[in-house]
Amino acid sequence: MVSDGEKIIYETESLCPVCLRKIPASRVKRGENIYLIKNCPEHGKFDTIIWRGKPYYEDWIRETEKVLPQKTITESVHGCPFDCGVCSSHEQQACCVLLEVTQRCNQHCFYCFASAEKEKSKEPGIEEIRQWYQMLLDIGEDRPFNIQLSGGEPTVRDDLSEIIRLGKSMGFPYIQLNTNGKRLAEDVHYVERLKRAGLSAVFLQFDGTTDEIYESLRGQRLLAQKEKAIENCEKNELGVVLVPTLVPGVNIENIGEIIRFAVERLPTVRGVHFQPVSYFGRYPDAPEDSDRITLPEVMAEIEKQTGGKISIESFQPQMTGNPLCSFHGSFVYMEDRGIVSIGGTAGSCKCHGSKEDVIIKARDFVAKKWTRAEKKACCSTSYPLSDLDMYIERVRDYGFSISGMAFQDIWNLDLERLRRCKIHVMNFDKRVIPFCSYNLTDLQGNPLYRGR
Amino acid sequence: MEKKLTLICDKCKVNLTLANVHFSYLDHNFRHKVLRCPECGQVYLSEELVAKMKEVEATFEDK
Repeated sequence: MVSDGEKIIYETESLCPVCLRKIPASRVKRGENIYLIKNCPEHGKFDTIIWRGKPYYEDWIRETEKVLPQKTITESVHGCPFDCGVCSSHEQQACCVLLEVTQRCNQHCFYCFASAEKEKSKEPGIEEIRQWYQMLLDIGEDRPFNIQLSGGEPTVRDDLSEIIRLGKSMGFPYIQLNTNGKRLAEDVHYVERLKRAGLSAVFLQFDGTTDEIYESLRGQRLLAQKEKAIENCEKNELGVVLVPTLVPGVNIENIGEIIRFAVERLPTVRGVHFQPVSYFGRYPDAPEDSDRITLPEVMAEIEKQTGGKISIESFQPQMTGNPLCSFHGSFVYMEDRGIVSIGGTAGSCKCHGSKEDVIIKARDFVAKKWTRAEKKACCSTSYPLSDLDMYIERVRDYGFSISGMAFQDIWNLDLERLRRCKIHVMNFDKRVIPFCSYNLTDLQGNPLYRGR
Repeated sequence: MEKKLTLICDKCKVNLTLANVHFSYLDHNFRHKVLRCPECGQVYLSEELVAKMKEVEATFEDK
């Protein structure tokens, strides 16, 4: 299966992009890069870049804790990924569960998970959403999952604040809103209602700091709208995470500017969460490797475009799930020194009490880093970080995170990764489906799960 | 009327006094004033301080 100069470094499984049959696949090293190579007996060979350059795959990969779901919903009958729900072969509890509260949207983007297949599903009512929440409490443990309200565009619903209030009253400590920001920009009173209902943070689609980027990705000039949405969140003391979809040839060169934009808007902006583009929907031909940016390239671009202020070494893989799925780093902004990394080094913390603690800590970590702290008067901005009280105060207001998550599509799908997925989606029939199988489509755009 | 509490070292039977103490965790160093026994050097960490340390630790630890 491999040619001269190539080396198989991990045997896994994937699906054929044409017939969705399960087929063997390998992570293969070619030069400095890692590719996922798979062969369908009927439709031939598929070869996709998954990891390019530094930090090298071998240096990045590490053993992470498997925290198995306490309760599974579906039986493992046909084998991964055909029994998702989650089934008994899934190897990771969820950190965050997405609730798609509508399929309607007020924007039409070229790149969208949700529009890959536009099913005409009925919008869930409050009672149905209450049942979703209850089910998540029933399958979870003491610390309920983090919740992301998603869609479609959730803010097309006038009763979104009720959905948030209900979730909070049922015991979910962290509820974030995934949004394009259009309504947040247009209606500050709507933002106020969401905040009063208990919304924890806004996950704002934010692809860059120029209108050309938005025209290219979303077909409209949206920068002013994004700025207004952030301003309205600021007025209501709501934390915002900027979420850029990174597309080669469009906004890769803007990564450093996005980080500068975020730092200028601390403490309202709590971080940047980069998402390299993945390809769902109808693609008769496989996307080229040049159409993809991998996680190490994102980290390398951050280092390059911040002039080394944020180094590759400040980033770590996650403690749970698969290390190929994400990176994160924690920082604090000091007026006299600029950006300072405050994260631990990879694998440095061995202080978890039990396996379950790892996923509980992951939920708390996300909730804490992305929620804006209550407003407090802050003092000087150049005090020593070695003073415990001053450190806490400074990090509360000027701490921020930079992270990235690589979603899988039919071309780079690796079932070992999928089984470790900790971002799940509540399906309308109450199956809880890992994000990357939920959004998966074959090359004609036919979904494996979405709308089924 | 509020009574001022004095903490005494159980081992040395002397009053604890305020002293600057250095903490180190995951390559980060902090200093903080805590009550310390002038004889044996044992320190008293209040619940409030422990809660602060927990908050600080959480900012360093891996996800």
